[in-house]
Amino acid sequence: MANQGENNIKLGVFTLAGLLVLIFSFYMIGKNHNLFGGGFEIKVRFSNLNGLIAGNNVLYSGIQAGTVKDMQLINDTSIEVILLIDPKVGSFIHKDAIATVGTEGLMGNKVINIQPGTGKSLAISKGDYLQTRKAVSTDAMLQTLDKTNNNIALISEELKGTVQRINESKILELLNDKELSPVLRSSLKNIHEATANARDMAVNLDIIVKGIRKGRGAAGLLLTDTAFAGNLNNTMQKVSSVSDQANLATIRLNTLIEAVSQDLSSKDGSLYVLLRDSAVAGQLKQTMKNIQDGTAGFNQNMEALKHNFLLRGYFKSLEKKKKEGQ
Amino acid sequence: MDSIDKIHWAFTDRILEFFKETGHVMRFTGHFFSLGLKPRFEVKELLTQCYLIGYKSLPLIGLTGFIMGLVLTMQLRPSLISYGVESELPVMVGIAIVREIGPVITALIFAGKIGSSIGAELGSMKVTEQIDAMEVSGTNPFKYLVATRVLASTLMLPILTILSDAISLFGAYIGVNIRSVTSIRLFYTQVFDSLSFGDLTPAVIKTFFFGFAVGIVGCYKGYNSSKGTRGVGSSANTAVVLASVLIFIIDLLAVQLTDVLGLN
Amino acid sequence: METPIRSSTTGKITGKPEAVIEIEHLCKRFGENVVLNDFNLKVYENENLVVLGKSGSGKSVLIKCIIGLLKPDSGKIIVLGKNIPELDHEDLDKIRTKIGFLFQGNALYDSMTVRENLEFSLRRQWIRLPQTEVDAMVKEALDNVGLPHTVDMMPAELSGGMLKRVALARTLILKPEIILYDEPTTGLDPVTAREIDNLILSLQKKYHTASIIISHDMNCVKNTADRVVLLLDGKCYMEGTYQELEDATDENIKQFFE
Repeated sequence: MANQGENNIKLGVFTLAGLLVLIFSFYMIGKNHNLFGGGFEIKVRFSNLNGLIAGNNVLYSGIQAGTVKDMQLINDTSIEVILLIDPKVGSFIHKDAIATVGTEGLMGNKVINIQPGTGKSLAISKGDYLQTRKAVSTDAMLQTLDKTNNNIALISEELKGTVQRINESKILELLNDKELSPVLRSSLKNIHEATANARDMAVNLDIIVKGIRKGRGAAGLLLTDTAFAGNLNNTMQKVSSVSDQANLATIRLNTLIEAVSQDLSSKDGSLYVLLRDSAVAGQLKQTMKNIQDGTAGFNQNMEALKHNFLLRGYFKSLEKKKKEGQ
Repeated sequence: MDSIDKIHWAFTDRILEFFKETGHVMRFTGHFFSLGLKPRFEVKELLTQCYLIGYKSLPLIGLTGFIMGLVLTMQLRPSLISYGVESELPVMVGIAIVREIGPVITALIFAGKIGSSIGAELGSMKVTEQIDAMEVSGTNPFKYLVATRVLASTLMLPILTILSDAISLFGAYIGVNIRSVTSIRLFYTQVFDSLSFGDLTPAVIKTFFFGFAVGIVGCYKGYNSSKGTRGVGSSANTAVVLASVLIFIIDLLAVQLTDVLGLN
Repeated sequence: METPIRSSTTGKITGKPEAVIEIEHLCKRFGENVVLNDFNLKVYENENLVVLGKSGSGKSVLIKCIIGLLKPDSGKIIVLGKNIPELDHEDLDKIRTKIGFLFQGNALYDSMTVRENLEFSLRRQWIRLPQTEVDAMVKEALDNVGLPHTVDMMPAELSGGMLKRVALARTLILKPEIILYDEPTTGLDPVTAREIDNLILSLQKKYHTASIIISHDMNCVKNTADRVVLLLDGKCYMEGTYQELEDATDENIKQFFE
């Protein structure tokens, strides 16, 4: 009995240690589930959750930003998901950020990925709705790519024709203005080049899309077949270079078209004055717009393709190789 | 015909015996709740028993927990590698330990150590009339011996399980680091990231029942020990066997219940 | 300590000695085995009553019924004015503080020291005693049996005779009015057995207790008995002094002296 007191101390330490470990565990779990320390709710509407459940993580640009708190069906096509966002991360999320349903790893838990928007809009606050984008499926993407491709071909054809016509119409030569004429000529030449580029690009893309189509049926094949991987490698390189080209072309086109259309629409503009032919002007304007839309759409598709999970691995390994090469 | 009759009777006897025994255990349990939890608690004896049952079991349970975590990690690794998810090793081990292996293995070791010691102690006290002596001296032996031990094992097993889980996870960390390198921070972040309250809470709650089962069975077997040293031995032995079976039955019920409640 | 306060539970103020235990028509059976069958007995204060009987004749059952460890099937057991079988747990515990019980196997708590063994019954009481008083009582009890030096030893370290003395000290520590001895000399060598006999006698004289001693050891009976009851077939077969018993010609009695 003399060491009763000592035993009680040992017992107390033992019990406290157990309780501390328990409390620590609960705290850690609670922290991971944002149960303590506030956080605010924002909402997102999806048409398909792909098996997302309450408690799943919300990632913002890949870092833990919160958890899925609740979800409910709003109507037959949309489900409202309530996200609990950590205020520390939340202050960096802007209103135009885009939420998608994704997967942690190859077969891990579902997650909500929030991709940063342009950063121009305000930071989100409690109760805000985030924009969503349906996770792009390769199939749908290839379809739009195909369409875009055709559009580009058409547009460039059209544009070429218009430019040709303008060139051939000799209106330019009639101009007395010696300074304007060369400028306009070089502009038109640029357009010409750009459309040629776009056409080349369209041809390339066509090949690429067909290539992907062939392997599309089996995702496993796409990932594992080494022969196909080689193909894919080439293809993707092409896609990359084409997309770079497209980017360049788009930028050039954009500035050009903007200049041209401004010229066309203002009554003082030299082209407007030159052409006088309002029908041609209208057509040209429409064409320009088409090109603009087409290139923008194409760019978006390229970006989506890069983020698609099947190809993401490829892009990652490309980066790795690059690093290793260095 | 005679032999068949004999077998028949032996069989029905067995069944009747089983139900009789079950009834006795139930009555004993009821007695615990009606009498053992009434005031005039034997606080000092309860603390002594908590010390003996809880603190003194920690080295054994800690050692087995550590080995379990280590071995489990090393056994799981090849399978996970074949799926290419070696990085999920801490997650797998963490969930396995916290949800199932920690509580059950700890409870089984506990049943082996504590169930037998309670059974043997009370059995020998019964045989040497120490229980009668206690009763004669104005102490309720049920309260002094049974209630304290049952309460102590009910309260101590959860704590032992939690500590054993922690030690097991440490073992698992070592196991991960035998073949690859992980920082302890990454390891425990991964483990806690994968855990939810639905993993931890039912696992902790069920250990109370495990502890109660071990205590009540050990006390019942010891308290009703038959005369002689053989009776003491058999009460210690059957206490362990019965407690182990009960642990699995409770575990089965617990998993069904958590499933129905949607806690996982 | 000369004359302990005696509760006059029966309320009689006659010259005759009071009966502290009255057993009437006591019956106890275990299954088919009838152990006590319409057994009657009176024990008076200041008296050493020896219950003699063969093994399995129900002597132990008798005293376990008296202290309430066993419940009789029928009959009255009035101890200090209270009918034991009818008492609830609390009253039973109260009356038990006035009854000492020396177990055949001593029943010392082997996980406790001698001091803790002795203190155990004290600490169980309703009135908490100060430690100095507890120490004094432990010392007195151990002095009575001549073993003050064993106070911090474990029961396992003591010899058979010492264990019996410590058990006796534990029985006596509450200064009971009645002491029930269950075969106090069984398993001891004759010399130690005589020491225990003498101890029982001297303590009985010192504390003026009434005692029931269960035995089949004729030396013990001879040394300690004021009165002897022979238990046979669940009944009181014969009652008398040791001398009367020795002189009897009955076969059933004679066999105890062989």
